[in-house]
This record gives sequence, structure tokens and C-alpha cells, in this order.
Amino acid sequence: MRILTVACSIAALMVATPLSAQTLNVATAGDQNMVDYVKDYLGPMFEKSHPGVKVVSVGTGAGDSGSQKIFEKLDAQKSAAASDFDVVVIHQKAAGTMVKEGLLAKYTDKVDTAKLVSSETAKNSLGADVSGFVIPMFQSQTALAYNADMLKSPPATYAELKDWAKKNPKQFGYNGIKGGMSGVAFVAGWVYAFGGDADKLIKGPYDPAVKATWDGALADLKDFNKSVVITPGNAGTLDMLNRGEIAIGPVWVDMFYSWQADGKLPPNMKLKLASPGMPGQPMYYAVPEKTAHRKLAEEFIALATSPQVQADGIVKKFNWYPGIDAKNLEGKLDQAAWNKLFTDITPTDLSKNAKAFPIAPYFNDILEGYEKKVAN
Amino acid sequence: MSQRQLALILIAPGLLLVAALFLYPLGFSLVSAFTRPDGSLTLEWFAKAFELYSGDIVFTVIIVLASCLLTALAAIAIAGTLTLGENRWVVGTLKALYRWPLFIPFIVAAQCMRTFLAKNGLMNNTFVSLGLMDPLSATSFLDWRGIIATFVWKQTPFVALLLAGALASIDRATLEAGRNLGASRLRVLVELALPQVMPTLLVALVLSFVTMLSVLSVPMMVSGSQPTMLTVDMAFRINAYGDYATANALGVITYLISAGAAILYLKRGMSKEAAP
Repeated sequence: MRILTVACSIAALMVATPLSAQTLNVATAGDQNMVDYVKDYLGPMFEKSHPGVKVVSVGTGAGDSGSQKIFEKLDAQKSAAASDFDVVVIHQKAAGTMVKEGLLAKYTDKVDTAKLVSSETAKNSLGADVSGFVIPMFQSQTALAYNADMLKSPPATYAELKDWAKKNPKQFGYNGIKGGMSGVAFVAGWVYAFGGDADKLIKGPYDPAVKATWDGALADLKDFNKSVVITPGNAGTLDMLNRGEIAIGPVWVDMFYSWQADGKLPPNMKLKLASPGMPGQPMYYAVPEKTAHRKLAEEFIALATSPQVQADGIVKKFNWYPGIDAKNLEGKLDQAAWNKLFTDITPTDLSKNAKAFPIAPYFNDILEGYEKKVAN
Repeated sequence: MSQRQLALILIAPGLLLVAALFLYPLGFSLVSAFTRPDGSLTLEWFAKAFELYSGDIVFTVIIVLASCLLTALAAIAIAGTLTLGENRWVVGTLKALYRWPLFIPFIVAAQCMRTFLAKNGLMNNTFVSLGLMDPLSATSFLDWRGIIATFVWKQTPFVALLLAGALASIDRATLEAGRNLGASRLRVLVELALPQVMPTLLVALVLSFVTMLSVLSVPMMVSGSQPTMLTVDMAFRINAYGDYATANALGVITYLISAGAAILYLKRGMSKEAAP
């Protein structure tokens, strides 16, 4: 009997030892708040439900260049036995490249929460087919922020905004295309509105002749720019709204709510998602093909995309839109948090007017067209 | 070991640093600006740079020249007061204060100017509360004027420091002779003192010119992006398109602009060394 007990304990130890040594490396491309989100919130939660596992959160830097670093690391370890990263959080542009290069594993069929995502961005990432390889962590969105005291009924469409800005010179402000993505998103939205077929720009295929059809839209934008203020950066637009120097301008929704929560924006500011639509972008959870902890990585992502975590972490703590469909969060969020995120922009508005950025080659054409025809 | 070999060893670390940190990147960016990815020679990146950024090139030159001019005027005023001022209280206060911006980085200065020069910023609000300005007539200075203001604020102490040193070392007898003959202090400064320190002023301005040409944070943070300075365009070329070739072409254009200033600087140095 005693021998049996000892044998059992040794067997248990042998099974347990590799578990206790397990480390799950999560690499995140993005601002510090996203790295902290994994380190302080998701990591400890996962460690609690998986005793013996340690979650290590690594940040690779903000913006597309952060994703580029993850890509370079995985690419360099292509022929190694196992990659250093077990879960990666990446931008849209890099996701397409990494799928094409075979660096990511097809995993979403093994994660139940993947069924809670219906958005187009889970399948198509700036023109690259990524279905099966990614689940959105969150969705961020641009919208027009306006001062409800100065502006009772804000322009609801780009066309109305164009007329309004003409009648109210220097009351609309955006940050051009070199001062941050909220301005880039506004310009992409302008081309969607006045440049013809927005669907083609979002879904492809790429046709280099299309950019010639934007000449009218860009000439109008040049004219429009004469009666608006060009602000210094994403934060510059919010600053000017805060000081009452402009009445309306495009902003990132999560930044807007965070600033408002910190008291850096007055409570009379509201949001409006102009039709026919403004772009937003998701961040993706993905699993490298060469990870040594495939199963753990999948469980980690399943936890991260579960309705409760999406409600408490993504929506309530960080003011992002959920990566999974918003309807799955009903009942998981208290009414106040729900109201905050969805009063100005309802889930219906989102499904109608939240667009993706154009596919990469059109995206570059829009930026360069702007530099050529509007800025110079 | 001969004297000559020893000398070579002594300058080797410096030479290596210059080669690794300046000559190599310079050569690299020159090559990238003039070649296609397949290695053949081309001017298409320059064509693109001029097509997209000709306005910004002119804007950059004007901003930097205007800033240099205003910096010179402000520095002459400060250094002149320090040398020829007779009110001890004014001279003492100025002496204590004028160097401060030297110790503040460009990015911090830019951040301060963002809230100071805004339409409803600190400066306009102060004017309004003093009754000097009507709130409706307040305008924002966060455009080319903001960039110039930041540059002048930041570079004036540097130029004034060099100029005040030079002014302090000239023979005071000439200045006092002028005063005794009844010339006003302004006249003494402009006609007697300044001509003697012109080389120093010019060198200080050339160094400021090159510094201002290379600043990214100020145009990025203070003004909107249309038009903007070449540094912002270079950053954008790389971040948005990964297009190093056109960015390097813009870099070469910046080299040429600063080469104009460098020629002035070298000419000055040579004529000084050649002088008996």
C-alpha cells in the first residue's frame, strides 16, 4: 500500500512537473495599455485557472512597426524547433503577411468563442484572407466628436458635414494624414463617401486605375480644407475640442472615452458616426505555427474572448469595442458601462457605418493621392 | 613608434566614430536615394520628392531662415543689454533668466507651446483676462508662427550666450570712446560693437540653422501637417509606406540646404585662419 502511495505521488509529480514549468509567452504589438492589459488583468486570471502556468507579457511597440517586430522574430525562427512566442497580438497589415508566410496556426475551430464573432474583419484583413487564423481582441473605431452645446444637431453624413464646414469656417478640425490615424480614417471615409465604390476599396481586388476616379473627391477635399483647422495630432484634435476651439472633429472612440473619464474632456461632448461610414480597426489574437504550447495558447485566447472578459476588461476597463459580437455581452455588463459605450453610437450604427480600412494597396493610393492632390 | 603613427592612433577613435555614425549612413542614404531596388541609377525618387513635397521644401527653408533672422535680432538685443546695459537690476535679472531655454529639450518646449499658443491657450487667456483682447478676436498660433516662436525661444539663448561672450571680450575702450563722443547706446551697439563680433554671430546662426532643420518634434507637435517641415515628411514616408528611397531623397535635399550654411561656416573659418 505504501509503495503504491509513493508510486502514485511520484507519478503525480512527474505529470505535474512539466506543467509547473510551463510559461506562456504573450507578445503584444501596441501601446503600453495593451501590454498592461495582458500583464495585470488577463495573465493573473489565466494563472488562477491554470495552476502552474506562468504568463509572460512582452510588448513590441506601438503601431504597425510593433507587429513588424513580431513578424521578424517568427520569421527568423521559422526553422527552429519552437518559437519564443505562444500567443501574439497583432495589427491587420501584419496578420495578412504572417498568414501568407505560414507563420500562424489555424486554431479558431478549436476555440468555442470563435463562434461569437461574425464581423468581416475576422475573415478579411485589409484584403488578405485570415479566416481561421485570428480572433479579434477588440475593435477600435473612429467617429466625429462634437460639442453638444455648440452643435445641437451634428452633421449625420459626410455630405452634410461638407456643407456645414463651409457655413461654419474653422469649426471643424482634423489632423491631416501625417499626424495620426484619426485623420487618416477621416480621409479614407471621405473617399468612401465621394470617391465611388467603397466596397471595392475594402474588399478588393486591387485595380491601379481606380485611383484616377478619386480626383473629384480629392479636389473637393482640398477646397474643404480651406475652411477647416488642421490640428496637431490625434491628441491635438481632442485638445482643441476640449478648449472649445473647434466644435467637431474625428477621434478614436476609446481615446475619447478615456479622456472623458480622466476629466480631460467636458461631459457635454458626444460622438456621431457619420454615414456612409468611417473606418476602424481590430487587433487580433493569433497563435504562431511553431508554438510549443498550442493547447495552452488556445485556452488563453478562449478566456480572453469569453463574453465576461470582453465585457469587464475590453469594454469596461479600456473603453474598446468588444472583439466578439456586442450582442453576446448583454447581461454581462452593468447598464452604466453599456450605456456609456453605446449611447451615442448604437450597435445598429456600428453594424451599418463602422467600416474597415481599405485594402493595403488602395490605402497607400489614398494617402499618396492626398499628398499629391490635397496637401501640395 | 614615430610621432606620425602616434598621432594617427590618437585620432583613430574619433575618425572611426565619424565614419561609422556619419559617413556610413550618409553613403547609404545617398545610394538609396539614387538607385532603384535592382541597383540601377535613377532620379525618380527626387522627382517624387519634388512632386509631393515641393511646397514643404520651400516652407522649411522659409521657416528656418525666418527663425534665424528673429533669433539674431533677439540675441543681439539680449547680448547688447548685457554688455552695454546701465541698469544693474535689469542686467542682473536678464543674466539670470536668459539661459533657461538652453536646458529644455525641443520636445518639452513644443509641448509647452501647444498649450501656451493655442486659441484659448494660456497666452490669449491672459490677454483676455487683462482686458487687452476681445475673446472673439483670439486666434490660434499653432501653425507656422508657432514653429517659428518655438525655434526662436529655444535658439536665442544659445546665440546670445556666444554673442555676449564675444562682446565681453572686445576692447571696451572703443565703446567708451563712442559713448564719450555722444553716440547713443543703440548706435554704439550697431556701429561699433556688432561689426567686431560679426564672425561669432554668423557661426552661432549657422549652427542654429542646421539644428532647426533637423528637428522633428516641433513641427510635428506644434502645427498641423499642411504644409509641414521635411523631417515630418521623411518620418511619414517611412512609417506609412516603408518607402526609404523617397525619404532618403528628402534627406539629400536637406543635406544640400544645410550644405549652403556649412559653406558659409567653413569660409568664415578659413578666412579667419588665413588672416595674419
